[in-house]
Amino acid sequence: MAEEHYLELSENPVQFEHASSVNNVFFDEANKQVFAVRSGGATGVVVKGPDDKCSVAFRMDDKGEVKCIKFSIGNKILAVQRTLKSVDFINFIPDYPHTEFTQECKTKNANILGFCWTSWNEIVFITDQGIEFYQVFPDKRSLKLLKSQSINVNWYQYCPETAVILLSTTVQGNVLQPFAFRNGTMTKMSKFEIELPVIPKPAKLSLSERDIAMATIYGQLYVMYLKHHSRTVNSPGAEVVLYHLPRDGTCKKSHVLKLNMTGKFALNIVDNLVVVHHQSSQTSLIFDIKLKEPDCAVNSHQPVLPARSIHPYRIPLSGPAAVPTQPPVPCQLYSSSWSVFQPDIIISASEGYLWYLQVKLPPTVHLLQDKGKLMDFLLRRRDCKMVILSVCSQILEGQEKASLPVVATVFDKLNQVYKEYLEAEQSYAAATESGTSRGGAAQKRPVRTQAVIDQSDMYTHVLSSFTERKDVTHKFIIAVVMEYIRSLNQYQITVQHYLYELVIKTLVQNNLFYMLHQFLQYHVLSDSKPLACLLLSLESTYPPAHQLSLDMLKRLSTANDEIVEVLLSKQQVLGALRFIRSVGGHDNVSARKFLDAARQTGDQMLFYTVFRSFQQRNQRLRGNPSFNPGEHCEEHVAHFKQLFGEQALMKPSTV
Amino acid sequence: MASGAQEKQYTPSLLSFFIYNPTFGPREGEEEKKILFYHPSEVEKNEKIRNVGLCEAIVQFTRTFCPTKPAKSLHTQKNRQFFFEPEEHFWIVMVVRNPMIEKPNKDGKPPAIEYQEEEILDTVYGAVVRQCYSMYKLFNGTFGRAMEAGGVELLIQKLEKFFYRYLQTLHLQSCDLLDVFGGISFFPLDKMTYLKIQSFVNRVEESLSLIKYTAFLYNDQLIWSGLEQDDMRILYKYLTTSLFPRHSEPELAGRDSPLRPEVTGNLLHYGRFLTGPTNLKDPEAKFRFPKIFVSAEEGYEELHLIVYKAMSAAACFMISATVELTREFCEQLDSLVGPQLTLLASDICEQFTINRRISGPEKEPQFKFIYFNHMNLAEKSTIHMRKTASVCLTSVHPDLMKILGDINCDFARFDEDEEIIVKAMTDYWVVGKKSDQRELYVILNQKNANLILVNEEVKRLCATQFNNIFFLD
Amino acid sequence: MDGESRNATVPWDNAMLSPVDRLRSDRADSPTPGLVEGTEPGAVQRSAIFYHAQSYEDLTAEAENEAQRAPEPDRPQGHNEDEIDALVGEKSVERRLNNDPSSESSTKEEDVSSEAWRSHKKHVFVLSEAGKPIYTRYGTEEALSSTMGVMMALVSFVEAEKNIIRSIHADGCKVVFLTKSPLVLVGVSKTGQSDKELLRELQYIYYQIVSLLTLTQLNHIFQHKQNYDLRRLLAGSEYLTDNLLRRLERDPGLLLSAVTCLPLASSARDVVSSSLQAAKAKNLVFSILLAGDRLVTLVRKKDQFLHHIDLHLVFNLVGSSSSFREGEGWTPICLPKFNTAGFFHAHISYLEPASELCLILVSTDREDFFNMSECKQRFMERLSKRSAYQAMKEALKCPSYSVEQVGIPELRHFLYKSKSSGLYTSPEFPEVYQSDEEQERLMGLYQDLHSCLHHPTRPLRYFYRCSETENLLARLTSGFELYLCFSPLATKALAVSAVDKLLKWIRKEEDRFFILSPLTY
Repeated sequence: MAEEHYLELSENPVQFEHASSVNNVFFDEANKQVFAVRSGGATGVVVKGPDDKCSVAFRMDDKGEVKCIKFSIGNKILAVQRTLKSVDFINFIPDYPHTEFTQECKTKNANILGFCWTSWNEIVFITDQGIEFYQVFPDKRSLKLLKSQSINVNWYQYCPETAVILLSTTVQGNVLQPFAFRNGTMTKMSKFEIELPVIPKPAKLSLSERDIAMATIYGQLYVMYLKHHSRTVNSPGAEVVLYHLPRDGTCKKSHVLKLNMTGKFALNIVDNLVVVHHQSSQTSLIFDIKLKEPDCAVNSHQPVLPARSIHPYRIPLSGPAAVPTQPPVPCQLYSSSWSVFQPDIIISASEGYLWYLQVKLPPTVHLLQDKGKLMDFLLRRRDCKMVILSVCSQILEGQEKASLPVVATVFDKLNQVYKEYLEAEQSYAAATESGTSRGGAAQKRPVRTQAVIDQSDMYTHVLSSFTERKDVTHKFIIAVVMEYIRSLNQYQITVQHYLYELVIKTLVQNNLFYMLHQFLQYHVLSDSKPLACLLLSLESTYPPAHQLSLDMLKRLSTANDEIVEVLLSKQQVLGALRFIRSVGGHDNVSARKFLDAARQTGDQMLFYTVFRSFQQRNQRLRGNPSFNPGEHCEEHVAHFKQLFGEQALMKPSTV
Repeated sequence: MASGAQEKQYTPSLLSFFIYNPTFGPREGEEEKKILFYHPSEVEKNEKIRNVGLCEAIVQFTRTFCPTKPAKSLHTQKNRQFFFEPEEHFWIVMVVRNPMIEKPNKDGKPPAIEYQEEEILDTVYGAVVRQCYSMYKLFNGTFGRAMEAGGVELLIQKLEKFFYRYLQTLHLQSCDLLDVFGGISFFPLDKMTYLKIQSFVNRVEESLSLIKYTAFLYNDQLIWSGLEQDDMRILYKYLTTSLFPRHSEPELAGRDSPLRPEVTGNLLHYGRFLTGPTNLKDPEAKFRFPKIFVSAEEGYEELHLIVYKAMSAAACFMISATVELTREFCEQLDSLVGPQLTLLASDICEQFTINRRISGPEKEPQFKFIYFNHMNLAEKSTIHMRKTASVCLTSVHPDLMKILGDINCDFARFDEDEEIIVKAMTDYWVVGKKSDQRELYVILNQKNANLILVNEEVKRLCATQFNNIFFLD
Repeated sequence: MDGESRNATVPWDNAMLSPVDRLRSDRADSPTPGLVEGTEPGAVQRSAIFYHAQSYEDLTAEAENEAQRAPEPDRPQGHNEDEIDALVGEKSVERRLNNDPSSESSTKEEDVSSEAWRSHKKHVFVLSEAGKPIYTRYGTEEALSSTMGVMMALVSFVEAEKNIIRSIHADGCKVVFLTKSPLVLVGVSKTGQSDKELLRELQYIYYQIVSLLTLTQLNHIFQHKQNYDLRRLLAGSEYLTDNLLRRLERDPGLLLSAVTCLPLASSARDVVSSSLQAAKAKNLVFSILLAGDRLVTLVRKKDQFLHHIDLHLVFNLVGSSSSFREGEGWTPICLPKFNTAGFFHAHISYLEPASELCLILVSTDREDFFNMSECKQRFMERLSKRSAYQAMKEALKCPSYSVEQVGIPELRHFLYKSKSSGLYTSPEFPEVYQSDEEQERLMGLYQDLHSCLHHPTRPLRYFYRCSETENLLARLTSGFELYLCFSPLATKALAVSAVDKLLKWIRKEEDRFFILSPLTY
């Protein structure tokens, strides 16, 4: 059961002093900082970030209750809202005047709902009547209004990574107006309407900000709407509706996630998965919007996996509050004191913890029976490599052994991704090759994600061990390896020769030489020198291997020297000479090499033949049949004389 | 020959075919016991005994000079006899009458008969005899097995049953070099399609685990064999010269044109059994398949032979004879294999036509050739038209074929690489090349070519047809 | 054999088809491959010496055909055996004197069941139709009587079916049968020669035996006594057969149905010929001057032709025994291709004791010894006066030539036969072929080529073989037969050019290598 928890809280959470009457806690999504403000800051403000660098502690005068407090990007300027009308600023830049300065909102009798930093010195005020975009001049201790827009606002949401602010307008609040901010400019994006399950009469605010979240999934910005189950419309349960929010162009409803449950929910985005927490059942669901559901409509999704609760979490002993003897306390999950922030943050203010939510892949393997679907799912996850490889081993071995068609689909899915990467690599190489220096906008090197499982991965982690297994029939082993090779070929990926060696090894071990022969006959095992050599080594056990390897060397057409060596090793001296002649290399081969070989055979006639042919070569090349000293053939000349006598030597006169 | 007006030409023909075992009738008067099979059966008993006696005498006599190498053939003016001892003491003898010319004789004398003694090639008919045995063995196992199972009586029965039919399918006049090679013609195919077939075979063998071996053919050419080479060799012979021709029907590439997806999508397919049930729907359908014997670790094993065909693609599935094959199994096989095989067939056809287009339109080349590789039994001939059950038509003059045969004998004498180029009196050039277990024979019709030009032609041929193998020049 | 019927019709004097003057005009300076017979290098100019010897198939021609043409040499009076024995006795004397080193006494007493006996490359057996042993090359006839009995049984069994046994084939071994009533000859060979080749050799053996007894006598004997033991008559003559067999393995002449000449300037040769011509006598039919196995010249009676087989038998007779060195030999000899019915009488003597030059004068009269002896004297007197004699002796010092002279480095050896003259020429074996095994192997290769070219039903014009030991090229035109042996590394292009070059060269040398103008008296 335990290994079924596919969600967990990060090992080392950010700890802070939990909220209390004297200690207010604020969270800034932009910098992911937690502010612990003790008695209005007089007794200190402790800022904890994801890492210690961005943790700060300071004091500030208590000028009334703090409503909201945030650092600008990079902790340059601190903004504090204490009243509905104004925001105070404090420089944190070294040797800048440290005294606070204040900015009131421009719009008369408007109330500030809140503010967000969009850069180190640009800030947006959101009031109930509109938004005001300022630039801050810390040295002058003043702000300049860059742009403002008046519009009735119920509430707002801010997505730091895209710097998009979403405003809820109209009485029902279901018309959403997004604004995008980028270095000093504010662009109004096209507004859109969330369709409510029921239209309240009389009209009243009926879209709460708790039901809306913004996050980027697979690089696209989405607005997630938690559409509660309504008795009137008999839908099986609540849904999450995703609206795709493109930088430009209109926003449209793109996905519907079926929760099949009712009650209180919270959303997170982890590794491009939409995580939906359900409080009453104390479980969570995950959705992958890229996972196509064959059975239902294109853009509606069922949970990838059955609902499971987050892996139980015990509060570690470390941390300030810890007392050595105290045993770790099991932490209450899904507690009402949790607040969830995008994309993957869970904060328990009461206990003073900030966790990052994480997906554990191993458990998913057993929960997702359809291996094809499982592969699709895993291939999109961040740390998937080892899991995928383990799945591959699984479907080949043991009781989980899958049938060949399944194995085939798995291989195909892997190689699909593999191929895409290779192509990207290629076109990149090609681009850099052809010097795309004109315009620095040369395409960037494709990143190799863990999902790219190449042949060596397959070989080292799966196939090599698999082919060693005794409990698997060689029939299946060969079938699998051939299936993998087939898949690679299908995606026009050049197969590495160690895979071929694997095939050959297996076939040889089982004396399936005729199979091997047929494979080579159809060039299933593509030519290469190493392969040819491997074949040569098989000759003793399987004589035809000699022919096969010679053919291969011939096809390589760059292996003439090897061919000569092979022939000589078989004492086929004439064959070697005829061959080298046929490829026109006869004039510059070493006479000695061939004479040695000829002499070794102990065949006098052969020696005679070879010797004379080289004499004629000499004659042809230098008009004299005798050998040059450089050729070191003296002993052979002597041998020849001794065998056939002086007069048998070719005389310069002839020809 | 002069005065060829009303001469009659007779092709070589089978005079007799008999099998004997000298140890069965050692004593005087028991000679008849030696004879296990004799064709023609109507031959009078004593003559049978005499002819067997002669063979024994010949064999014995030859032993005085080479005890290790038994006699293989006896040449006489009128006929040739071929001896083969496939199993100890069991002798198969085939007697072939030399071709002859009957010359009508004037003034009413009986026509003069001239026997053409040099027309028959020992190698060819020796191979035919061996083939007879292999074919018997394929369907019945060894003689020894029959003896163990049911003694001489059973053996005699089996021999009668088999050879009575088989001998009628011998066509001695159309035997030639190809019978010597007994090769296998492989279907040329691109790597990817081949891998698809591989994967098809593997999947079928996985899901129908009864299947022990599989062989895959297209257009009567082999693509994949799970059987060992020698077994495949004879099975191939059976399929291509007997089974397929019997079922041949307008199944030429035309019908294999790539199917429309909606056809391949659903279960509609062209698959059917060539052995076993002709129609699965038929409630009376019998599920008996021919049994074959192939070599195995422990001697031989007996297998059901299922041949299933879809369009031009044929798959042979071999299943241990110990299991009973049921209707269920056949239906399962039909539903599993039928659609896939149909699809494959059209894929192959498509690929093939593509490749052909690439290789360009074939213009009638200057040469015809036969290629054979002893290593994998691969065989290729542009001389023979499609070999059918009845005859194999060759496109060249018989004498040229015989010259090829002569050259082949020459090669057989020493196992070293050789090349022979000859010019016949008819001015045809014939080239024989032997390079590391490979043999290539080319016939060129270029009257006034010389050695050099001929050599060039052959080089060109090798470059186009055999550029992917190592052929010593 | 179909061969017979075909060749019986071949005119026996093809050689003289074309008149001299025409031939002269046709003699091109550079021989073209398509040389017509009579214009090829070495073609005779006046008239041929032999029957036109197209190929060994002549052998199978029926004896009768020639018999008619033959003049009536005196029949041996009566066939009483003691006369024969006498004649044989005479030979057995020679036998005793015969100091031929290659005495086969060792091989004779071989155990016929031994592996050694079996492993001989070629066995030859001769037996009577009664199955009685007459000759075996190895082992003793006695020991083989049962084996020969089986042979005869096989022959007659097949005959009983109105059929003829030809041969038995096993891997690497074949048995060939030749029935020449009243004899049966059986060859057992591991050499891989074709049946036809082996038959030809058996024919030679047959004629060898006939040449000792005449066919008439042979028939007579067996009509008289079905199971007569012919060895009684042949005793002591086996060595002739043995030697003939050895020649068959080594001498290209027997393969080509031709003889080779002592290279000699035509001027000198003509002088020798004319000297012979001058020394004629009434019953003298042929005068033959030999230098070892080489013909110096041959003069014949008008319209009488000596078949090369008969000549080879004479060569064999002379070469097989040294006794003729003792003085003037006088021996009856049947020349079967000339006439199987009767004996000629040959006067055999060496011009000088130590010399290779041997003169054979063939007469039809058995009482002619002194006439012949006198002819020789006349010849010697004439010759000794002339410088030609010296030239001839000089020529003897180098009876052959080296292939190097042709000037084609890759060319190792060749045989060239001029069809019309029935003469051939061939250089000495080069260094690589010095050993007997190598020479016999090369001969074996030539035999293969020969039987391919002369295949009874599928003859070839052209044969090229490229192998591991040598490249061979054989060509057959209406004018000549040519066999070349190249280094295995020689190219085809070279082979082609070599043919022309060689023919040119032979044309250049033809009057040394051939007898262009044979004489008659």
